[in-house]
Amino acid sequence: MGTIGATLIRAGRRFLSSLPALFGVLVFTFLLMRVLPGDPAVFFASGPSAGNEEIEVVRKQLGLDRSLPEQLVIYLHDVGRGNLGRSMMTGQPVAKDLRQRLPASLELTLTALVIALIAAVPLGVLAALRPNSLIDHSVRLFCSLGVCVPTFVSGLLLIYVFYYLLGLAPDPTGRIDVFASVPPARTGFLMVDFLLAGDVEGWWAAARQLMLPAFTMALFVIAPLARITRASMLVSLGSDFVRTARSVGLSRWQIVVTYALRNAILPVITIAGIVFSTMLGANVLVEKVFSWPGVASYALDALLVSDYAPVQGFVLLMASIFVAVNLLVDVLYGIADPRATVA
Amino acid sequence: MYPVISRHLISASAVLLSATLIAPAARAQSRAETLRYVTAATVNTLDPNIPGSTREAFALSMSSYDRLVSFGRKQLNGKWVFDLDTINGELAESFSVSPDGLKLTFKLRPDAKFHDGSPVTAEDVKWSLDRCVTAPVLGKAQLLTGSLTSADQFKVIDPLTLEVTLPRPDKLALPNLATVYPIIINSKLAKSHATPEDPWALSWLKENEAGSGAYIVETFKPGEQAIAKRNEAWNRGSPDKPASFKRLIIQSVPEPATRANLVERGDADLVIDLQASDVQALEAKGKLKVISTPQYNAVTFISMNNKIPPFDNVNVRRAIAAALPYDDMFKAALFGRGAPLFGASWADGTPPSGGYPIPQPVKLDLEKARAYLKEAGMPEGFATTFSFNVGQAATAEPMAALVKESLEKIGIKVDIQKLPDAQMSSSINEKKLPFFTEGIVAWLPSTDYFYRNFYTGNQRWNYSSTDNAELEKIAQAARFEPDKAKYEAKGKELNAIHFEQMFQVPLWQPAQDAVMAANLDGYVYQFTRQVDYRNLSRK
Amino acid sequence: MSLTATSSGLRHTVWVLRGNLVTAIAAAAAILLALVAIFGPMLVPYDPVASDVPRALQPPSALHWAGTDQLGRDVFSRLVVATRLDLAIAVTAVSVSFVIGAVIGSLCGYVGGKLDRAVGRFVDVLMAFPLFVLAMAMVAALGNRVENIVIATAIINLPFYIRFARAEVNIRRNLGWVEAARACGDGHVSVVLRFLLPNVLPAMAVQMSLNLGWAILNAAGLSFIGLGVKPPTPEWGIMVAEGARFISTGRWWLVSFPGLALMLAVLCFNLLGDGLRDILDPRMRT
Repeated sequence: MGTIGATLIRAGRRFLSSLPALFGVLVFTFLLMRVLPGDPAVFFASGPSAGNEEIEVVRKQLGLDRSLPEQLVIYLHDVGRGNLGRSMMTGQPVAKDLRQRLPASLELTLTALVIALIAAVPLGVLAALRPNSLIDHSVRLFCSLGVCVPTFVSGLLLIYVFYYLLGLAPDPTGRIDVFASVPPARTGFLMVDFLLAGDVEGWWAAARQLMLPAFTMALFVIAPLARITRASMLVSLGSDFVRTARSVGLSRWQIVVTYALRNAILPVITIAGIVFSTMLGANVLVEKVFSWPGVASYALDALLVSDYAPVQGFVLLMASIFVAVNLLVDVLYGIADPRATVA
Repeated sequence: MYPVISRHLISASAVLLSATLIAPAARAQSRAETLRYVTAATVNTLDPNIPGSTREAFALSMSSYDRLVSFGRKQLNGKWVFDLDTINGELAESFSVSPDGLKLTFKLRPDAKFHDGSPVTAEDVKWSLDRCVTAPVLGKAQLLTGSLTSADQFKVIDPLTLEVTLPRPDKLALPNLATVYPIIINSKLAKSHATPEDPWALSWLKENEAGSGAYIVETFKPGEQAIAKRNEAWNRGSPDKPASFKRLIIQSVPEPATRANLVERGDADLVIDLQASDVQALEAKGKLKVISTPQYNAVTFISMNNKIPPFDNVNVRRAIAAALPYDDMFKAALFGRGAPLFGASWADGTPPSGGYPIPQPVKLDLEKARAYLKEAGMPEGFATTFSFNVGQAATAEPMAALVKESLEKIGIKVDIQKLPDAQMSSSINEKKLPFFTEGIVAWLPSTDYFYRNFYTGNQRWNYSSTDNAELEKIAQAARFEPDKAKYEAKGKELNAIHFEQMFQVPLWQPAQDAVMAANLDGYVYQFTRQVDYRNLSRK
Repeated sequence: MSLTATSSGLRHTVWVLRGNLVTAIAAAAAILLALVAIFGPMLVPYDPVASDVPRALQPPSALHWAGTDQLGRDVFSRLVVATRLDLAIAVTAVSVSFVIGAVIGSLCGYVGGKLDRAVGRFVDVLMAFPLFVLAMAMVAALGNRVENIVIATAIINLPFYIRFARAEVNIRRNLGWVEAARACGDGHVSVVLRFLLPNVLPAMAVQMSLNLGWAILNAAGLSFIGLGVKPPTPEWGIMVAEGARFISTGRWWLVSFPGLALMLAVLCFNLLGDGLRDILDPRMRT
């Protein structure tokens, strides 16, 4: 109990110390958006007959007629009350848009991460068991191949082959077939909602939609995960307790899985955490290619038309998730390895 | 606990059963009665009046709301397009114009009902039109072009009659009422959601539909999809029939190649924003119906800011017009899809028509271009930037590369700037770009409308920053010219000035390529450059 | 370093390379890429920006080995010429973030205290950003010129280098031989530059090599959303992005060849990075 308590205190302290970073992100994004040379008022007042008067109306509506410091104070005040502003693009409050879209991004990213881990951990272990062997090199080559194709190319190629040519995959238009009925949204995660609704067919349909984009993303992150698994397995296999276990005559399988892998998994968790939060922010292109209604493609569209509020909201959300994931990894680390609390 | 679990089990197995036994047939039928339309953009508001509305929002509002009147259609080169000269009643059963042209009287259909079942009255119409000219909405600037500016102009005569008074006879008044903005709203419903700060219920109507149109909006997820079901009581298209499709799905699919795949595999029924190369390939395969019409009310330009040197010099502008690789651009960027506005021959050197736009006698002639540059006092050329919009990259990027290559041959060094959409529009508005490509569109295209809105004043749409007193005078005079022959003569004069001064170079009217399932019927090219879903049916 | 140390290092390198075919091939490919970047533009059969619209979109042939693009430009020539720009973008971006990151990081690690905390906060802010979106925003704000793509890529890489250098220096600053150097009268700057930095370099070299590939992909991603280098400059990312538009019409050569070039370069830098780690990191030697 003592160690868990210590872990929690440490987590709390880390959380407090990450607040300034969040604040920095908030202000920096705010300023960065204002540096963008595009004027959202002009862009959005673009009906075929819109003139300067319409532009002024939109400008006022967006609060852009005020001075920069004033805008910042208003923005911070709004954020403090949970109001992230309104998107010009969708016409909705940003908080609502993000709440609707975040589950889509999380579901995709988590699935991709699970696929990547399922592939990467065995590959890494395999490579570590025979370092510098043909297996090791093949694993390295395979993983590196995945990471060297831009996701938008692998995504488009997968669509071309599996949807267009073979007809195996469903049409790449978002999370669910438009003709299928959507389950009542309880969690926002379709895979969970369908199960809760007891709709197996729907679940399977949603899973099929998820496959191609998840694979596209997974391909890209197998390499770092496999690499860290291999490295930490090598350390773990070379350590004294494995040597001891070997000398005691335990079976090879037992040594690898119960001793070596268990000790090697911590760094993998850390990296997986980092990979997860980077993926979440970086899957812009995958979401675009697969018409996935996630947060990243939302931010991209907003950025191109200088719609400030959605971009600011998105960055804040991503930064918060980054902080939260780091905390989680930290806590997990503390529970799994009590020594970490000492350090 | 047990009952709960067993109920779940039962419902799960019921779902499974129904899914395997009943669903396929029902699904196939509902698929046939559904129109699935995919597009790069998104419906972002249900009220087309909200500043920032997308074209897709306009299109949906044509189906979810009725207007007093609507445009007819005509056949042009074997394809159906909108017809500004035929105005039909929509909510108006009949309408009349007084002999002096100052009063328009509309008789409403007695059987018209809003989606909540309440009848459409003259009160609703007045409230809706008042809103359009009073509230801070897009309709205000549009209706202004038809002399509709104040709520005093709309008068309720009786529950089914409305009278519109004009300050002067204006041939654009009636057509303006058929455009996107003057939707007729269920005023009682809307007013119940109005607040003191928002008396016109702008924020409620943005997310809720209160119309009487052919389709009733069911799901509205901006950035993803909008789904609407047929209004069975709607009879504004043909006397006793509602729209043909039972359900309408408008879905956002950002990747153009995916849209092409979807329509080719039959998963989508209709798409109008494909890349030219994909349209060409799909047309060649011959499995789908491809209806290409030039966008009759749109023009793509290469614009020069006439106030920024060296483009303030008419000979520099002429040099540019003679140095553009028109044919190559048309072929490489548009794959030859559209109506060229270059390469004409004007028999006696004067414009053959008073229409706008008309093809001009410009063509690639580097010798002539060099001569013009010399005359401008810049035989060595100069350096400039050429800008385009990221959103237009698919066509503008190859165009820009060709422009750069060709102008380099006469000594003009071009630096290409690719600007994000918002940056492009604000730079244009601030008149900061010397040389760029952009397009325009007019809903009520007429020669004087184009010249007044795109060639006069310090406003955004005057891309070339043209400031020409003579042009302005003729265009203003043409605005209220009732005589057709005189109007035509004025149009010719305007076109002659345009060619002489070469304010900017009209390149082409890009094609609207509607690619659809072979069994889809009734497509009409509309002034919105969007599909009017009410026109469509499946054979 | 003495001569024997160098030659033993060399021998070790050769030994690793011999035992490690993949790294050897990657090294060879890297050299080949560098040669193409240097001499390629002189050897290509066509002008990479000269259009020839009548010959647009032709599949590979004896005349055009990798076919022609939308404007009839020779894809092979463009690919070869693009090598220089792509490598330049990647190398400059990575070098900039490496130099700045190493200096700031080692200073922080050495000095500690307030400076360290201040920089730490800044790094936290950067790390918390969704990096690709940050790069996009910066390129959009600064304008899409090559310099700005380099700057954006460099900035989003910066936190990793700062952290890395800081950690490595921090571990070493109180080691005996550093104390000894200080005792011998070396100034702080000289201690950092002459004793600490060189020891951090090898580990950072690995990071750099891995980052090179990533920087190329980053530029390609920016091109895909329309924030890449200006047309008509040949660049792999923009060629892939443009080619991707033609996948649906079966014009495979437009995306495959630039895609392969991109893959080859990224793969080669990644494998090289892995190999470098084996050579430089004695802990990993088996």
